[in-house]
Amino acid sequence: MGGQSVVRTVTLGSDGGGLHLVPCSRLVKLANGLTCNVSVRKGTIHADAKNILDLMVLAAGPGESLELMTSGDGAEEAMARLVRLFETNFAE
Amino acid sequence: MLVKRGIAVSPGVAIGPAWLFGAERLRIRHYTTKSAIDAEITRFRNALDAVCVEIESNQTIANQQLGEQYGAIFGAHLLMARSPQLSDEIERLIREKINTPEYACKQVLERYAEVFRNLGNQYHAERAHDINDLQSRLLRHLLGKERQELGDLSKPVIVLSRNLTPSETASLKREFVLGFATEEGGPTSHTAILAGALELPAVVGIGDFLSEVESGDKVIIDGNRGEVIINPVDSVLAEYLESQQKFRTNYAALEIERTAEPITADGERIQMLGNIEFPGETEHCLERGADGIGLYRTEFLYLGVTKEPSEEDHYNAYCEVIQALGGREIVIRTLDLGADKVPSVGVHHPASTNPALGLRSIRLSLQYLEGFKTQLRAILRAAVHAQPGSVKIMFPMISSLYEFRQAKMVVRDVMDDLDESSVGFQREVPVGMMVEVPSAAILAEEFAAEVDFFSIGTNDLIQYTLAVDRGDPAVSSHYRTGDPAILRLISMVVKAAENHKIPVTVCGQMSSDPKFLPLLIGLGIRRISVTPHAIPELKAVLRQLKIPQCKDIAVHSEWLGLSRVIDNYLQGELRKICPQLGR
Repeated sequence: MGGQSVVRTVTLGSDGGGLHLVPCSRLVKLANGLTCNVSVRKGTIHADAKNILDLMVLAAGPGESLELMTSGDGAEEAMARLVRLFETNFAE
Repeated sequence: MLVKRGIAVSPGVAIGPAWLFGAERLRIRHYTTKSAIDAEITRFRNALDAVCVEIESNQTIANQQLGEQYGAIFGAHLLMARSPQLSDEIERLIREKINTPEYACKQVLERYAEVFRNLGNQYHAERAHDINDLQSRLLRHLLGKERQELGDLSKPVIVLSRNLTPSETASLKREFVLGFATEEGGPTSHTAILAGALELPAVVGIGDFLSEVESGDKVIIDGNRGEVIINPVDSVLAEYLESQQKFRTNYAALEIERTAEPITADGERIQMLGNIEFPGETEHCLERGADGIGLYRTEFLYLGVTKEPSEEDHYNAYCEVIQALGGREIVIRTLDLGADKVPSVGVHHPASTNPALGLRSIRLSLQYLEGFKTQLRAILRAAVHAQPGSVKIMFPMISSLYEFRQAKMVVRDVMDDLDESSVGFQREVPVGMMVEVPSAAILAEEFAAEVDFFSIGTNDLIQYTLAVDRGDPAVSSHYRTGDPAILRLISMVVKAAENHKIPVTVCGQMSSDPKFLPLLIGLGIRRISVTPHAIPELKAVLRQLKIPQCKDIAVHSEWLGLSRVIDNYLQGELRKICPQLGR
């Protein structure tokens, strides 16, 4: 199922620090384990989810909404895993 | 020969070899040669690998000692270090601009740090520190220097640094330090206070100059004129060796004043107390004839350690001072630090963007009662060994009456606790406050009705009133001690103290400066707490003064209105009063 794109919106929990250092690193680890491309959008800024510096610069805080996009092989399954990561508040 | 100017914060002349502290940030060559590019790329990659190994081992230790929550932070640092984007940019600079790896790293990482600093959100702006940490690690490996500690010194040197923090100087050996010079800092920076306490010449706020010095270069620190001379020519060196001798002679002459009574020419006795950071400094105060300790800055118990001081640590320190004082008074100021500097608390509170206005001092104490009560218990217990009423508790940064009442209530609670557990303690302990927040000075009348004493902390009072960062060399000219607003506030506090018959002291650098002495006395101040080495000089000036003369000087200063003009006027008056003090 190549060439497919999946988009979902997630909201960061209102308690906790938002997408700060440790959650970023967990997201990056997950994204790097996926074959498809993964990107995150906050407002007009896009970040490559496989790149921790990009993600940190998004400065996504508590309660903010982010748009996730996966594209390429296994995009659907990848999105499911990403959404679960956000829903469990980045639990290891 | 290179001459640099800065702010003179501790007098005297020191001549000796330079010792660069924090060297990894300093000696960076910008360019390499085309033929060396491949070798430099390899050197960079090796350094990056070494840094990653270092971070990984830090992570393992952190996981073991502190738990995985903390270890995960290093995991994130590792991802940053391994980020392809980062190494691509660095290697591009090496290849295309022929930069050295260290210069390339510095540029790329500082750019990232800047991006983070400009993010609106405070937490994310803090991530600039993580980037700086990575830069430090890389530069250490590229420049091949191990981080040197001040505790490693083995021969007398002049310490040159960007800045000196309390934790860095905690391990300093006084016999190996001749003087200090820093790029940053102001008259009330840690470097200034430390140099004053150690009685070593120091110049701060010089701005960038470290890249122009090599370790081992001959350096002259002129703590009188605020100059640092690197590799002086023979004639200049000879001149300084001569004046160094002259200063020693002058100071020796003033030493004769040290046992004289601090009394004006017309018989008014002034209390001259000393400021201390460490118990060991009590001796310096007594040797200079101090009437007691007007300010014991207790935060040094919290710095350079990984665990908060225990009740016994506090108790032992206070007992040491009380014993040395033999009945003289001591004012103990409770913790005056920002949350990020306190070991157990700092994890939850990274450094704020506005530390002077943040969670610090009494606010911190009232929020973390356990630590506050520990300190108070120790003070009350130690005070048993002193005359009733001679050990006093002082709260820093009090900004509202409610805050003072809360803090005082905690003291009563602690007394109740000690009572219940039948532990011996001193009941008669005066409780007062620092007047350093403008609101405290403005409502001095209301406060005077409830506190046992005032101590005007001019360092911070000036900072808050004139809205000047006292540590920022860029605005050091705005930090005006003799500003009319400050003089007005001091008058208000003195008046309120007089109305309610409570003592008022001026601590802070203002009281250590001889030219302000006539003014302060003219405003009604009869108690000052100063750096010990200033006592002989202040006594010498005091003994020439008459009260009506001081009142005239105070009135004239208020009339003069402009701070710069006031400074010059006071300097002129000082020269008339005490011609031998030629500064």
